[in-house]
Amino acid sequence: MSRGPSLGLLVAPRLLAARHALRRSYLKAVVLVAFTAAFWVGCFTFFTNVLEFFQTVTALGPLLTQRLLVMILVSFFAILTISNIVTALTTFYLANDVRFLLAAPVSRRRLHQARFTETLVASSWMVLLFGLPVFLAYGVVYQAGPLFYGAALATMLLLLILCAALGVIITTGLVLVFPARRTRDALLVITVALVAGGYMTLRLLQPERLADPTEMAGFMAFLTSFEAPSSPYLPTTWAAEVLIPLLGDRGGDPLFYLGMLLTTTAVAYLASAGLVASLYLKAWTRAQEGEARSGGRRRLASWLRPLAAPLPRTSGLLLVKDLTVFFRDPSQWSQLLLLLALVVVYIYNFSALPIDDGTPLAATLREVVAFANLALAAFVIAAVAVRFVYPVVSLEGRAWWVLRAAPLSLRTLWWSKFWIAFLPLATLGEILIVVTGRFLGVAPEQTVVFMATLLLLIAAIVSLGLAFGAAYPRLDTQNAAQIATGFGGVIYMVSCLGLIAVVVALEAWPVSRLFWHQFAPFPVTTGEQAAIGIAFAGVAVVTIVTWAVARSTAIRHFARLG
Amino acid sequence: MIEFVELRKEFGTSTVVEDLDLIIPAGEIFGFLGPNGAGKTTTIKMMMGVLEPTSGTVILNGHDIAKAPEEAKAQTGYVPDQPALYDKLTGMEFLRFVGGLYGLDRGDIDERARDLLEEFDMLARAEELIETYSHGMKQRLTLSAALMHRPRILVLDEPMVGLDPQGGLELRQILLALAAGGVTVFLSTHSLSVAEELCDRIGILDAGRLVALGSLDELQSRAALRPETAPRDASLESVFLRLTGTEDRE
Repeated sequence: MSRGPSLGLLVAPRLLAARHALRRSYLKAVVLVAFTAAFWVGCFTFFTNVLEFFQTVTALGPLLTQRLLVMILVSFFAILTISNIVTALTTFYLANDVRFLLAAPVSRRRLHQARFTETLVASSWMVLLFGLPVFLAYGVVYQAGPLFYGAALATMLLLLILCAALGVIITTGLVLVFPARRTRDALLVITVALVAGGYMTLRLLQPERLADPTEMAGFMAFLTSFEAPSSPYLPTTWAAEVLIPLLGDRGGDPLFYLGMLLTTTAVAYLASAGLVASLYLKAWTRAQEGEARSGGRRRLASWLRPLAAPLPRTSGLLLVKDLTVFFRDPSQWSQLLLLLALVVVYIYNFSALPIDDGTPLAATLREVVAFANLALAAFVIAAVAVRFVYPVVSLEGRAWWVLRAAPLSLRTLWWSKFWIAFLPLATLGEILIVVTGRFLGVAPEQTVVFMATLLLLIAAIVSLGLAFGAAYPRLDTQNAAQIATGFGGVIYMVSCLGLIAVVVALEAWPVSRLFWHQFAPFPVTTGEQAAIGIAFAGVAVVTIVTWAVARSTAIRHFARLG
Repeated sequence: MIEFVELRKEFGTSTVVEDLDLIIPAGEIFGFLGPNGAGKTTTIKMMMGVLEPTSGTVILNGHDIAKAPEEAKAQTGYVPDQPALYDKLTGMEFLRFVGGLYGLDRGDIDERARDLLEEFDMLARAEELIETYSHGMKQRLTLSAALMHRPRILVLDEPMVGLDPQGGLELRQILLALAAGGVTVFLSTHSLSVAEELCDRIGILDAGRLVALGSLDELQSRAALRPETAPRDASLESVFLRLTGTEDRE
């Protein structure tokens, strides 16, 4: 009798899909490799500099190094555990092919191995990518021997496997108690809220103080007193106890702690395998249970309908439909938390600038920052658009046929999608420019110029978002965050940055000539007036042409979506 | 009435639909048959204006789908082979949305939606999210959506898939009633018994070419399988296998 399918066979579909995806687009592969390489180099350089600086602090250097390592390991462990819980929920309980595998002659043990491998790879590759240059930096700065590199790799792999095992165990427990989709939604919102909260906290801690030597001392004091969870029972403590002695900073027993890590990981893995073997079918059955009806639905609809009343009928219909789906899908509305964090930090940055001491330098700084504000506000809008506008076409999903079969022209459809995206983004952009302009004490005329420029830019950014979204549709995924991080999303962001750079370059001279204090004593000549007019006309032409070309591209791709 | 005028679709070097010429009069139930990959769904997508033909066109009740797509689509109801819907809307919300897209009066939409949901035995779950529906329920909701605006042409791509026997029987009755009321029904199906039972005429597509067209009797004559000489072989299945060459291939 056959022993059943091998692990290789069970993970082959994912590997083959990845290979086909790469084959379809070599450009995509090249861009991804380039981005990854740039990220690695940046990460390695940053940590090398930090660690070299710590080495200059003779008394505290080793302690700081160790504390930083523990902080990194604890962060990795927390991120990995949450990531594995979310991923295991999909790979074990929500993926479409689980039903197929359950019906196939595949043993639970083999199923666990295959899905565990998928969970491990899907949730760990990013941390591994980030972690390796960090450990490499440690090794290089401390001139560690080959043993350190081997131990770092082994420690990292063991931690990854341990987190994946914990993820599978926790997920299975959650699914046994709560419906799987509810669990996924809740975890998703918690993760996004943690990211947004962490981002805001980090900014509000005023890291710029670290540029000041006296404040840097304060940071080091913080790090010295940092009470990272360092219980002897924590795997992160064992990992640190493996690595620190091998850096040569102090003695220890790395082999013992590596053994601790290895045995604990093995036990956790076997526990997850045992749990899946005995309870998987029960947990999977629970995961299939749908969500019960909810009274909140009618309230949402009654709130949205008046909002759409002033709009043309089709636009109103699409608005109500899009907003209803948006507020019922946690992967979409949770993005608002990130947006909120982004806006709070953005406005805070301007309120915290040291530009009101009355000196000429401060005045120049204010003018430079005010001009940079145009680029930054446009960048914020592009960052928001990649999350909210670019996925608009993909989020129609396979239900795209509903719109295509309806008596609705593609132009009408495009305009509806455009207004739905443009109006909130334009409101956000104008508020950012006005509020930050007030913090900076910008002249009202300059604010008006920036508001007009930003309106043109936002129209072009939205139009580009619809074009790239239609050109790189991901109709098979309903997760807005995933859609935004795809290849098309990256290209869209790069295109937006290019457009912003061109517009800012065109406006740099006219704005400085018209509004900067050092030019104020000199009246604008006729020649300068003409040049300023040409520059502003250039801004209008660039943005309007981009808008129009993107619009026709989007409509052409709408037709191809079928 | 539906008119296909030299409709052709090529994907790269392969021809999926080859110069299809066909007229289907009002009130007829037309069965569109063919083996897998024959080009049926591609033909339907071109007919519905969701896929651009390489050449030729389709005229729906006098409106060219290429030149006047909105007018043509306003006459037509469409049930695709895979009923992908908006999972985060309720059944009722989806029908309201579709009713609006097809320009129904606001006052009529709710009443029409309720009638259809009742007819398809879904009223009790009208306020539940579509993501909680079974495949059969989604299929019935898609049918309801296609009928919301009382179309003069109904295009169905494998509508029986996922329906239980009761649902299948109800759909057959609805299609007969619609045709009696003058609605043209274009039905693509693999269910030969359904085609045999319902269709006034049948067209068989094979490798993109219309290899047979006519009533069941005419097709039987063409396949030289007269019922009186070979009653056991006189089924549409035999005709289909003979005309598409599937019998020989097997």
